Amino acid sequence: MPVKMGIFLCNCGGSLKNIDFPKVRENLEDLEDVAFVDISHNLCLEEGEKAITSRTLTENINRVVIAACSPEFCERNFARLLEKLRLNPNLLSLANIREQCSWAHEGDVTRKALELIMMAVDKARLLQPVERKEVAVNKEALVVGGGFCGMKSSLELSQLGIRPTLVEREPTLGGKLKELEGFYGSQREAMIKAVEKEENIEILTSAEVIGVEGKIGDFRVRIRRETKEILRTFGAIVFATGYKTEITAGDFPLKLGINIISQKRLAQMLQAPTLEASPETIGFIFDLSDENSRFPTLATLNNALAVKQRWGSEVYVFCKNVKVDSEGVEKLYREAREKGVMFLKFDENPKISADDGRVRIDAGDTLLGEEIALTCDLVVAEEKLLPAEGTEGLSSVLKIRTDSQGFYQEENVHLYPVSSERKGIFFVGNCRGDLDLGRVLADISSVVAIVHELLSPGKIMVEVERVKADPQKCVACLTCIRACPHRAIQLVQIDNEKVVAEISQLACDKCGICAAICPAKAIKFEGYSDDQILAQIEAIGVS
Amino acid sequence: MEIVVIGGGIAGITSALELANSGFTVHLIEKEARIGGQAASFCCKATEVCSKCSACLLPQRLSEIASYPQISILTNSTVVGVNGKLGNFQVEVCQKPQYISPKKCIACGMCIEVCPTMPKAIQPPPPEAVPYSYSIGESQCLYLKREECNLCREICPTHAIIFGQKPQRQKLNNVGAIIVATGFDVFNAREIGCLGYGRYPNVLTGFDLERIFRNQGSLKLSSNAKEPKKVAFIQCVGSRDENHGYCSQVCCKYAMRLARLITYQNPDAEVTIFYIDLQTAGKGFAQFYKEYQESIRFIRGVPIEISEAPSDEVEVKFENIAEGRVERENFDLVTLSVGIAPRKDSWELAKVLGINLEDDGFFDIKGPLNTTETNVDGVFLAGACQSPKDIPDSIAHGISAAERAMEVLQRCQ
Amino acid sequence: MNGEIIAFCCEHSAYAAADAAGKQGLHYPEKLRVIRVPCAGRVDIIHMLKALEEGAAAVLVLGCEDGLCQHLTGNVRAKERVKYSGMLLTEVGIDGGRVGMFNLAANAPHKFIKIIKEMNERIKKQGR
Repeated sequence: MPVKMGIFLCNCGGSLKNIDFPKVRENLEDLEDVAFVDISHNLCLEEGEKAITSRTLTENINRVVIAACSPEFCERNFARLLEKLRLNPNLLSLANIREQCSWAHEGDVTRKALELIMMAVDKARLLQPVERKEVAVNKEALVVGGGFCGMKSSLELSQLGIRPTLVEREPTLGGKLKELEGFYGSQREAMIKAVEKEENIEILTSAEVIGVEGKIGDFRVRIRRETKEILRTFGAIVFATGYKTEITAGDFPLKLGINIISQKRLAQMLQAPTLEASPETIGFIFDLSDENSRFPTLATLNNALAVKQRWGSEVYVFCKNVKVDSEGVEKLYREAREKGVMFLKFDENPKISADDGRVRIDAGDTLLGEEIALTCDLVVAEEKLLPAEGTEGLSSVLKIRTDSQGFYQEENVHLYPVSSERKGIFFVGNCRGDLDLGRVLADISSVVAIVHELLSPGKIMVEVERVKADPQKCVACLTCIRACPHRAIQLVQIDNEKVVAEISQLACDKCGICAAICPAKAIKFEGYSDDQILAQIEAIGVS
Repeated sequence: MEIVVIGGGIAGITSALELANSGFTVHLIEKEARIGGQAASFCCKATEVCSKCSACLLPQRLSEIASYPQISILTNSTVVGVNGKLGNFQVEVCQKPQYISPKKCIACGMCIEVCPTMPKAIQPPPPEAVPYSYSIGESQCLYLKREECNLCREICPTHAIIFGQKPQRQKLNNVGAIIVATGFDVFNAREIGCLGYGRYPNVLTGFDLERIFRNQGSLKLSSNAKEPKKVAFIQCVGSRDENHGYCSQVCCKYAMRLARLITYQNPDAEVTIFYIDLQTAGKGFAQFYKEYQESIRFIRGVPIEISEAPSDEVEVKFENIAEGRVERENFDLVTLSVGIAPRKDSWELAKVLGINLEDDGFFDIKGPLNTTETNVDGVFLAGACQSPKDIPDSIAHGISAAERAMEVLQRCQ
Repeated sequence: MNGEIIAFCCEHSAYAAADAAGKQGLHYPEKLRVIRVPCAGRVDIIHMLKALEEGAAAVLVLGCEDGLCQHLTGNVRAKERVKYSGMLLTEVGIDGGRVGMFNLAANAPHKFIKIIKEMNERIKKQGR
């Protein structure tokens, strides 16, 4: 069908005085395939919409070029208008003659305005319609990790009508809550009961995810359960695999033992019904090697207060900086000090040595300006919050990047809070970094909202063939598959012999990296194809 | 079903988008003339790499929300009355006279050209503004001061300028839930008089610096139009003190990022940060901390007095704890890292909605495991109005509030 | 073309920054022509070289700050391609500095202006 173009020029209420609109129109009207060139005062308002509507319908055009303000704001509105007029929205081409032309330069900018419009015109000639259709998606969600995060996510998902399958690698649910039996025992039991009672939640314990193929709406997941392998399909996957804590060997000159223990061990001791002799003096130490974690502060404050309450021991905390940037922690810090917990802040790491069956700490207190020597019955060592076992392996199975500390989820602000670079795969809680309870709860609610939004309609609207690999040209070199940051491309068999790359319109995020990288130039990105870009380049200066 | 979101900052915008994507109609009620909240005026703090401050998420979200047909944005508006209950509220909204209708203003700028006053009564919108429309200041405008002037009205090509407007009230019915996302007040550093804010031109706040970098691209002192060479940041101004028993969570990071931005733009500059406890935890920050330690001088102990020094410099009196004595040092610029304070007008909204304020003045939550629900069924909280949060946490909380609202609504149906 | 500067602008960062520059009344040389792309990673070597072949004075690829690309690697790939283009140009005796990759964010219009003006200075010195 021959191109028949309608061009609308907006002079923004007549204010774009450094553009000679009649002259621009004159130049454009001569073009063969241009049906009309209209000048309007305000295409963005109702008046303008009416003008576009009537002209488009009466002139029967099949390409629309609009020269107005920035597409950042008006593109979506004009596209919607075109759809209403039964014209494919991709047949719209815009020129920014306001923010990036009239407003950006002194003096007359008629020539530039004309060139920008010609760029849009030449691109418009090559535009093709892109259809949209709804694709069915699997409405079930996979939750990996049966600790607090995984259980709460599953409960909330099922409350919103999504059926989660909860996979846990241990034989029982509970995660870190098991360690904190004395503090959270009843809550743990209540939560596990609630999860087990919930019909919508399928629980698979002693099960591990070993493979994930496919894309959002259609993830093919291989789960190993004891000796068997199960293959299931899910619309979205939520990882809530938690963390581990570790006392790094090099940090402490003395070995763990009876009087140098971890926070976990202390919590266990505090939960024991009776203790033969409670320690008189307890020292907590952190910030020796990693200063950038909230976990040691939170664990220390909670445990220190419990020590005061249950044993009444003298408690000293040696650290560089108390991490109070979480809700309620400053108050906890004050409470600890009011109850007699002493905080000593050092600049240089304290010396730790054995002293007649007890532990001696020599530290410089920066607030007193003095050297302090303290002998403790019990020292609670610095524990680092680290990614859980298997994080590295699983992230390469998923082909997803981890962050600079090894946790899940690349440190890219666009992904926060819970997304990953693969649509449909999410990370919640401490598996993606050092979060306090408040942030963990926000993670859980967020992922539930997002997964519900994605899956509950049962279908997602996609653009059909916005980005497509031409099976005639594709040689299955795998370059695009490796390059796609969203893992949206896979090889498919199209007939008896030929295997070609197929870009999933569900998973594609329309960046165009594949189109640029394909050595055979087999990938066409409609709207930003090579010829559409080159046409814009060639249109410059031709006036 | 309709939802009302009160407050168009990053949390409110996030809640609104989440709800709209899930099929709800949303009314976003914003007190100011534009949405975007505090963060819309923040600057990019990248050096050779992105510093993860998230400020640039605002322009993106703003352009997204501006063209969502299911979200109606009411600026210059406040909620003045609420009746009904969860699932069926009636929300009364009052809109201040706007003089220039944002629905008709195309930002052509012809009005400001003809405005005769000096300074001009008509103001252009800041670049990130949504709606992107001009506004008239009541104190300057001749017509509003009852003098003869019709110039702007006559020239406006879309007849967007209407004087003689009265506050408009409208009732929104069939509102299922209300999300409060009213954000925070920046702590007023004048309250700590000895720090000199408002008295000395070269004592600024962190928020002032954000705006200066955003609007001018670089930091030049108002006193001599030069880039400062010796800069001090003072942490915990309005946080972790007698009247604010909390950490504002954002200040250490913004101070370090701004400090690094200053030394990046001006390698001759020296920056000192006076702190109590340095907050460096959180995703993405550890990788920068080492660099910050190398390029910034950190001194533990917050100064208590700032005085005038010659040539518009300021003298900071602080404790050198290591040496055990009080010292004085001159700086070209002192930046007060002011914290997040609860809005002073929160109590008005609390009264209208029947929700409580907690001890620090933020809106109160139902329980420690439930940070988005209030004591009133159907009224939820999103963002820093509930407790101090940075941009990513406000976004997460905004989505959470939307989730909670959807879940509660579903249960009651 | 006659000595224009072509800037491939990522819609998330540079394009928005260019808009902000216009809104704030920040001016830059009229010879700039912006081509909007969804990601700097869409820009290919052929696009850059074609622009120069058509008579552009310089080609800029403007993408998100390092670590900010929504597509993670788009800006990194663009940088590599720009570097490669520069090498090719140098090999044929053309100043490789006439193609450049720069990073910025949507709320950094002053950085946008700075980049354009600096490239403009460079080509002016070469007499373009």
